[in-house]
Formats: sequence, structure tokens, C-alpha cells
Amino acid sequence: MGDTLSVEVLQEQVTVRQALTQVLAGELQRSPDVLVMGETVRDGGAAGVTAGLYERFGPTRVIETPVSENGFFGAALGLALAGFSPVVEIYSADFLLAVANELANDMAKWRQQQARRSQLAITVRGCMGANGGLGPEHSQSMEPFFHHTHGLTIVTPSTVEDAVGLLRSSIRSPDPVLFLEHRRLYDLSGSVPGDPEFVVPLGVANLVAAGDDVTVVAWGWMRHEAEAASAELNQMGIGVDLIDPRTIRPMDWETIQASVARTQRLVVVEEAQLTGSVSGEILARCVEAGPRGLRAARVTMPDRIHPYSADMEALILPDRHKTVHAVKKLLDG
Amino acid sequence: MQPTIHEILDAYETMVTSRVFDEACGDLLSAGTVLPHYHSGIGQEALMVGAVAPLRPTDQIIYTHRGYGHLLAKGIDLASICLDLLMKQGGTNHGLGGVMHVNRPEVGVHGREGVFGTRFGIAVGLALASALRHATDVTVCFYGEAAGARGALYEALNMCKLWQLPVVFVAENNGWSFTSRTEWLFPSGSMTDVWNGFVPVQVVDGNDLAEVWDGVSDAVERARAGGGPQVLEAKTYRLDPHIWWDEAKYQPAEEIERRREFDPIVRTRGALLNLGTSEHELDAIRERAAATVEAALGAAFAAPAASWESSNEWVTL
Repeated sequence: MGDTLSVEVLQEQVTVRQALTQVLAGELQRSPDVLVMGETVRDGGAAGVTAGLYERFGPTRVIETPVSENGFFGAALGLALAGFSPVVEIYSADFLLAVANELANDMAKWRQQQARRSQLAITVRGCMGANGGLGPEHSQSMEPFFHHTHGLTIVTPSTVEDAVGLLRSSIRSPDPVLFLEHRRLYDLSGSVPGDPEFVVPLGVANLVAAGDDVTVVAWGWMRHEAEAASAELNQMGIGVDLIDPRTIRPMDWETIQASVARTQRLVVVEEAQLTGSVSGEILARCVEAGPRGLRAARVTMPDRIHPYSADMEALILPDRHKTVHAVKKLLDG
Repeated sequence: MQPTIHEILDAYETMVTSRVFDEACGDLLSAGTVLPHYHSGIGQEALMVGAVAPLRPTDQIIYTHRGYGHLLAKGIDLASICLDLLMKQGGTNHGLGGVMHVNRPEVGVHGREGVFGTRFGIAVGLALASALRHATDVTVCFYGEAAGARGALYEALNMCKLWQLPVVFVAENNGWSFTSRTEWLFPSGSMTDVWNGFVPVQVVDGNDLAEVWDGVSDAVERARAGGGPQVLEAKTYRLDPHIWWDEAKYQPAEEIERRREFDPIVRTRGALLNLGTSEHELDAIRERAAATVEAALGAAFAAPAASWESSNEWVTL
């Protein structure tokens, strides 16, 4: 017991924002090839994640760029071709659509198209998701837009520990990674693993809770909504296998399908709007994997734009209550 | 810096190889052979070769889809280009990128983007990498009318100037952007007027080997010495259709005939004769080029086709 206590004392409590900053600092320190670049990164970037890095590492490692997304995403590709590992901030993940060409047509395809043996280590990171009336151009969930793109790794952390382990893996990955940080996660606290080399492998899901009645899949902020729903369902005597895939592409199909084969009930909770969502792919894959009698449902935003009215937006976002309702309905039906 | 006679002779041989290859491709197309994504560079040899030949092996280029002179002048062998063109095993990209994505990073050719425009940012990145490593290599970014109309060019020029990066942008003004005349797309048909006063701009006769060489080598050495970016517009003319399947009905035949008078191969040959090179020597160059082209195409036709199996190493990256 004394040992357990001392370990807990050693573990530092930080926010996701602080944890991400620490990882960036650590990777900048670890390798001279790692660079941080983007708009306003000198003053912390859009969400304060790069705060203090410019003062510590200087202008040749933390590169403030003009608001020229096509230009500096191209530059990140050029730097990666020359052997650097740029970590590029997109000011809001919605703006990725302005550089979809660089991201999906160039970075994602480059290694295969040019049969490039060397790495093409580019990490694109930025804030994403609804946070109360930011409107439709600063709130969207961007993983559905890009999960169709072969060659791109897509990461959606949900906790301090995963933010740390996944960002480290992303920066060290030989392939382009899209690292999407939900806005509501930044102030979430947690403990940073003591091991400075702690990594979470890309493409491996996290079994957050175990239960036999239903499989719930959720990531990013929705993992927390699903976790709360899961606790409520437990009190009703419903056991939930809660899976946080952590990486949207590659998706850990093995873990999800093994769980669904056991529970035969699947609910996917996703902040994005229904049509074309990642959850559609998850349902399809589970149907194809074929447990007889599989019943499945999705809890997503309906097909609407994010309204500027926070009150109106709250009504359409998926949450713990809608998740509880969906699970009960599935089990009752 | 003007090229020496030896440099002109070497460049001429590369130009002729490029020309003979394009002529051979023209014959193949006439005979009904399909050459996927082939874009003839006929008429632009002085530009392609004159702008690349003065570079160091460590300098980097971003080539256009048109013509193979840039690649040949940078040291990529024609045999590899032919294998990529015909989607055969053993080229530079194993059927995954074809002739549009020929690459050889060790000689400063990383490849090519698929949609015009990313090249400008890539050039910024390559040059920024050099600057961060205190290296002395320069990036030469070629572009045509299509890419040159994309906004990323402005973004890249701004960043290059902001950070004083060693990039030379070479605008290949060949009169046509597929079916559109350059003057329909750029004021007065100039691809660089707009940049005057923003970065140094120089316009050269793209069909004059020595003028291209002189302009590019000066810009490159200026960039190497820390002088920052420059834009160089080379005026030339596309004598062949845009792409292998294009009949170019929009391009008046008499205009093409008029432009043949400025054929860079003829002009360079004339210049070499004036410098005392013998007809015999120049004929020998053409014979060597013909042999190179025949061998490269012959080997490529005989090579096994690329397949998912032969490309597996890359597909599963």
C-alpha cells in the first residue's frame, strides 16, 4: 500500500493542454529534426499548446508562419522530404479543408506514389470539435472528412495519458499523422505516466470498461460522455464494454469486433453528424464480420450545421443522456 | 555566368537526348502505342536543360509534368524514366506513380505533387531545411501557367522573402496552358509582371541555352550566397500538343511553323558550329542520343510489367 501511494505521489497531475506542451518540448529536446510550425505558435498557438516553446527553443525550431495554409503545409512536406519531422498546427481543424489537397493528395499518397523508402514524418495537430456556439466553421468533427484517405493516420486522444502517449507516437511515426484535439479536453486533468518514453501505439484501442451486455465505441470528448453513460447503465444492471479506439485510422477492428461478437449489441457515439460518419463504417464492418442477430445503433449529431447559438447546438450534440437512451432502447428492442 | 563550350556541348547532348526521346514517343503514339501521361517537351529543351545543368548535385529541383529534360539534366537515367512511363518493374516508383512521379532523392529530385500548386510550398520546405542545416544547396522550382495561377505561389514567395530562402522559381511560359493562351490568363501574357517589386524578376529567352544558363546560374549563386528568392520567366513555345491524346486543334498550324524557326536544338547547334564544333561531332552526338533512346525504350518494353505483387513493399508502407 505504501508503494502504491508513493507511485501516485510521483505522478504529476496536469491538464491535457499542459501534457501536450510537455510532449512537444520533450520531442524538440530529443531530436533536432523535430520542428513546431504554424500560425501564432510563437504565442502558444490557437489553444496555448505551444506556449513557452518559442522562448525555450527559438525561431529555428518553433517557426511562426504567415496565414498561408497551402504554403506552409507544402513547406512541411518539403521539410519532411528533407528528413525533418515537422509538427504543424492547424489553427482550427475545420481549416484542414483549405489544405485537403496538401494533406490527402500529397502527404498521404507521397510515400507510396514515389515509392519512398525513407520516412515522411509529418504530424498535423490542432483543436477540433464543438465547444458551445463556435459556429459551423470552428466546431466540426474532422475525422469523417479524412478517414476515407488511405495513407493518413488519424488520432483522437481523450485523456492526459493517451494525449501524451499518442502524440509521442505520432511525432515518431514514419508516416503523416493527423492528431485531432477536442477543445473540451484541454482543461481535463490527469496524471502523466512517469516514464519519459511512454508511448501508446497507433492503431490499438483502449478497453475503458468491461461488460457483457453491450459494446459502446466512443472517442475524443464522446469517450467521456460514453463513460458517464456507462456508469449510469451499470447502476441499472447493464454491463458495458466501452472501447475508445484512440486511432480512427488504422482502426483496431480486432478489438471492436471481438467485443461485438460477444455482446451482439453495438452503440457508437460520435460527435460528427450522421451522414458519412465514422460510426457508419464501424457499423458496416461489424455487420460484415457477422455475429448473427447483431443489433446496432448510432448516437451522433443529426445532419445540421453547428449553429452559432450555443443553446441550439447543445440540443443536437450527442451526450451521456442520449447514449443511455440509445443503449436502453437497443436492449429493450 | 555564361556556359563554357564544354558545358554547352554536354547540355546540347542532353537536349538532343530529350528531343530524340520525344520524337521516338511521337512515332510510338502515331503507331498506336499508349504512353500514359506522356507530355512532350519538344521546343523547350534549352529551358529544361539550361536551367538544370548549371546546378550542383546537391541542389534540388521540382520539375514540371512537361518534358524529360529537367530529369535527364539532373542525372536521372532515361532507362528509369522509360520504365516509369510504361509502368514496368525497376523504375523509380514501380507502377504507383508512373512518369508523373519520377524521383531520385539522392540527386535532388524528390518527386512531384499530383495537383499543381503544392510545389511552391514544397520548395519553401526544401529550402528551409537547407537553411536550418546551414547547407548551401538551392532549390529550383519550375512551374507552368497552370501552377503559376495558384495562390500558393504568392504564399511561397512571401515566405521565401520573409526568411530569405534559397529558391529560384522558373516560370515556363510556353504560350499555352493546355487549350488556353497564356495572355488569356496573365496580364499581357507575362507570368511574372505581377511579382515585379516584390522579388527580383528576370525574363529570358527560354529557347536560348546560354541566356537561360546565364540567368539561372546567376540567380542560383545569388540565392546560395544568401540573397534570397528570385523569379525567372523563360519565354518559350510548346511545339507539340499538351498531352499524348490531345489533337491541339486550338493551336494554329501556321503559328507552330513560325515558332519552329526558334527551335532551341537548331539554335544551339548553330551556336556550337559558330564556336568551331564540327558537323561530324554534332552528328555523333545525335547518334549517341539515338542509341541511348533506343536502348532505354527497348529495355523498358522488354521489362516485366509492374504489379501489385512487385510493388508490395511500397503498397504496404
